[in-house]
Amino acid sequence: MRPLPHDVTQLLVAWSNGDEAARDQLMPLVYEELHRLAHHYMNRERPGHTLQTSALVNEAFVRLVDQRDVHWQNRSHFFGIAAQMMRRVLVDYARSRQYQKRGGDVVQVSLNEDLIVSSEQTAEVVALDDALKSLATFDQRKCQIVELRFFAGLSIEEAAQVLGVSPGTVMRDWTLAKAWLRKEISNTA
Amino acid sequence: MQPERWQLIDRLFHETLNHKRDERGHFLVQACAGDELLRQEVEALIASHEGAESFIETPASALAAELLAKGKTGVGVGAAIGPYTIRSVLGIGGMGEVYLAQDKRLGRQVALKLLPGQFTASPERVRRFELEARAASALNHPNIVTIHEIGETEGTQFIVTEYVEGKTIRDLMSERTIGLIEALDVTIQAASALEAAHKAGIVHRDIKPENMMLRTDGYLKILDFGLAKLTERPHLKADSSFSTQMQIKTNPGMVMGTVQYMSPEQTQGEEIDARTDLWSLGVVLYEMLNGCVPFEGKTTSHVIVSILESEPKPFQREVPSELQRILVKVLRKQRHMRYQSARDLTVDLKNLKQELEVGDRLKSTPGSNARVGEERTEIKSAAAGGRSTSETIRTQASVVYPTSSAEYLVGELKRHKRGLFVGIAALIIGVAVLSSYMISRRAKAPETVDAIDSVAVLPFVNESNDPNAEYLSDGISDSIINRLSQLSNLRVVSLSSALRYKGQAVDAASVGRDLKVRAVLIGWMTKRGDSLSVRTELVDVRDNRRLWGENYQNRQLSDLLQVQEEISRRISEKLRLRLTGEDQRRLGKAATKNSEAFQLYLKGRFYWNKFTSDGFRKSIDFFKQAIAKDPDFGLAYSGLADSYSLVGEFSLDAPKDSFPQARTYAEKALVLDETLADAHRSLGIVRLFYDWNLKGAEEELRRAKELDASDAQSYHFYAHYFQFAGRLDEAHSELKQAVQLDPTNLVINAELGWADYTSRHYDDAIAQFQKTLELDPTFVLASLWIAQAYEQKGMYREALDELKRAKSVDPEWFWLDAEIACVYAFSGKRPEAEEILKTLNQRRTAEYLDPTVIAYVYAALGDKEQTFVWLEKAYQERAGNIPWIKLEPKFDSMRKEPEFQDLVRRIGLPQ
Repeated sequence: MRPLPHDVTQLLVAWSNGDEAARDQLMPLVYEELHRLAHHYMNRERPGHTLQTSALVNEAFVRLVDQRDVHWQNRSHFFGIAAQMMRRVLVDYARSRQYQKRGGDVVQVSLNEDLIVSSEQTAEVVALDDALKSLATFDQRKCQIVELRFFAGLSIEEAAQVLGVSPGTVMRDWTLAKAWLRKEISNTA
Repeated sequence: MQPERWQLIDRLFHETLNHKRDERGHFLVQACAGDELLRQEVEALIASHEGAESFIETPASALAAELLAKGKTGVGVGAAIGPYTIRSVLGIGGMGEVYLAQDKRLGRQVALKLLPGQFTASPERVRRFELEARAASALNHPNIVTIHEIGETEGTQFIVTEYVEGKTIRDLMSERTIGLIEALDVTIQAASALEAAHKAGIVHRDIKPENMMLRTDGYLKILDFGLAKLTERPHLKADSSFSTQMQIKTNPGMVMGTVQYMSPEQTQGEEIDARTDLWSLGVVLYEMLNGCVPFEGKTTSHVIVSILESEPKPFQREVPSELQRILVKVLRKQRHMRYQSARDLTVDLKNLKQELEVGDRLKSTPGSNARVGEERTEIKSAAAGGRSTSETIRTQASVVYPTSSAEYLVGELKRHKRGLFVGIAALIIGVAVLSSYMISRRAKAPETVDAIDSVAVLPFVNESNDPNAEYLSDGISDSIINRLSQLSNLRVVSLSSALRYKGQAVDAASVGRDLKVRAVLIGWMTKRGDSLSVRTELVDVRDNRRLWGENYQNRQLSDLLQVQEEISRRISEKLRLRLTGEDQRRLGKAATKNSEAFQLYLKGRFYWNKFTSDGFRKSIDFFKQAIAKDPDFGLAYSGLADSYSLVGEFSLDAPKDSFPQARTYAEKALVLDETLADAHRSLGIVRLFYDWNLKGAEEELRRAKELDASDAQSYHFYAHYFQFAGRLDEAHSELKQAVQLDPTNLVINAELGWADYTSRHYDDAIAQFQKTLELDPTFVLASLWIAQAYEQKGMYREALDELKRAKSVDPEWFWLDAEIACVYAFSGKRPEAEEILKTLNQRRTAEYLDPTVIAYVYAALGDKEQTFVWLEKAYQERAGNIPWIKLEPKFDSMRKEPEFQDLVRRIGLPQ
């Protein structure tokens, strides 16, 4: 059963009004839609062609959120959730790869395991995730910007639009967030 | 970090960056005004910034999307969770991620579900979920997924269940149209699971297409029992749509799509019970047939209003009116107006399915290649559009299915041993060889010396979707059973017990437990035109391990016999094993060399197994055709004897038209092959019920038992010999053995109760009949007999209730009417009893009625004169039931009468 656009919108409204349970309900809905769309896109694209992820998230938004709902014009929550979702997917994957490298008695199986990710990349993703968790404790917005930029692939302008702030603000936040994260990662490494 | 501090850093960082490089140090010292830590912090950030140009500038989103597309998430392939190694992702849903995993300890494949943390935060909830999930799993129901483990790893809860290879009903609906029969079958299986769960006090709460998994072999599994406990909120007594909305909205994990399957009481947050599951199942059935749910709406609240207030959307296609009635009843807003139990729903659905199938068979010319049934039972979903099938559906709905008087009586009488075929022998040799192989192999390991000494052959699954090929799939199973029964030291479960699993989800382990066997043979066959493919799998029930499997692809149907010889050779070679000479002889005995005759015989057996008067007539026709093709085909004669002897014993036809025929054909069969156990048994039945020749009957029945000691029916009929000989205790012990051999056989279970009844142990009899009815509530013979036992105990109300229920199952069978008349007579309602008698007498002009049954009613009315008139009639006709008068408690009041004693003497039964 595809979620009804109105439901997603209502959940977004509820969440933006502080209902954390609504967010938990949204996650699987957004995940499934993203999964479906991504799958669809991947199958259509020629091999080697890079997926336009911001387009993916945009399409999920259009499909899931009732655009006629005048009470709901703020896209930040939806994109935020989508970005978080993609972060989780990537980080979990990276962690599991790290885990496999360490795991002694784990049998290595290549079941369509055609994703080539270097161990540096996975290590970077895991370290970044840890650092982002720290950042989020005192600066939620910078964390969100990193999520939108790095995990959801949004440009500065797109991120600004989503967050309803100026591109300059995003740029500033992005610069400091990067500096802080990089420092944090090198400190812990 | 303190937010104020961070804001300060933020500001200083950017201000510093606005300065030229060589001015930055100076600026910072001043700006920090002695706060050395602050200065160091900003300085470090600036330094970090200097080298951060490319840092995280290339988004990882493409990789994330790729992972998303492949459904790869949290746990990677190869990762280990406890003793489980993740193999692949099966699915991701609102209630967690599901993986295919390997259990390292047992080597088996399992499904592993990780539960999202928000659902498992409350230990109390987790405990309730665990309790219920385990309780459901412990039911060992074939349609309920078995839970292996509920555990925790690094703070994440996980559930490990049996791995079900198949598709959810949701997937199926999006892929293709689900046919009417298939939809009924799925619903029946689901209802069967719910029945078991509800009996144990477990309500699923979240029945929906996503939770119903159809295996490739047609068996349905219900997933996620108990899981709803994790998301459940305390019940709200809420009426306003506002609070309803709130409840649904704030219920974590409540994916909106699920609302469509909620019952009215569920949307209102009221306490729910078993009837809620039935509603949800009704919605699923509706959706399978109609391509959309019955209650729709633009938003959640619209859906809820529709559930509470609207009638289901009308069907876009015509469906049988009985099905519409069932759906209306299951989707009643008021719980007390709905089906009250899954069992009631199952009974109605099964009856409907049976009727539709019988309708199909009536219409399809046997042997023709026209796929009539398939066409007719298909309902195109709206999306499929195009060709209208409403005409054919209407035809189907209007078919009248007269349940002939005795259909249900014999309806489940044991499908006993079939013939011996060279053909299918090949498969059997394979299994037999395998068994000895296992025995020898196991013998080497001291800890596993227990050999596989028992096997159940489940009905082969006909994958052709061609109802005309059913005779082949049933025939193959049947013949394998028959063949294997010939082997010494191997116990084989009869087809009747195995047939209980036809079209059901089976789990080898639970079949093994139910039937008390060590191994289960599962098979699939496909017939395309003249081409036949067969797959088999032998499974060890202890651990569901596959012991052996083989594919026989694209063989020619016309070469069936040769093909199977080839198969047998190949299996022998493959396993490099030899059977004993005697076993070889038994398995290889040729029944006919004529392939056409063989197939006609299989068709005959197929109809015979239907156990309806119509089925018997058809089987007789096919057996005769088979004989026409090969006049030396012993099995076909044995089949004819089988049909006629049972028609006679159960008074489906006048005795003079059935018993003599049975005798002729049984004798002919035995001339051709003296070792045909079935033929000896048929002859024994004729001698017992028609010749009243106790000694002669005993010889034949004993010979049948010697030839086939593992056949429960041999014990069953031998028990009748004991009964007529007045040796009731021995009869009882024979039937006990029969039940042990064939624990789920309805007739044999009922006969055990009948033995209690004739021994005047009414309480035991009632308990045994109840047990039989639990196996199948539509088995009206048990209903009739339990009513007789109630009657003897003076429990007239119970008797009448049961009889009325039985009549709703089979409105035509006159024995039920006669028994209702008896109960009326005993409870002082003479006019009602006499009224029924009048009707029965009228019916006698049109169809054969055993006069013994009419005598029952007169005896109940205390009319001795008429009782003896009718008993004399029965005696003259040699009616199938007359020998029973010696034991029937209904005649106890006149047992002392000289006329009665004279009658018993004339029948030749010991006084």
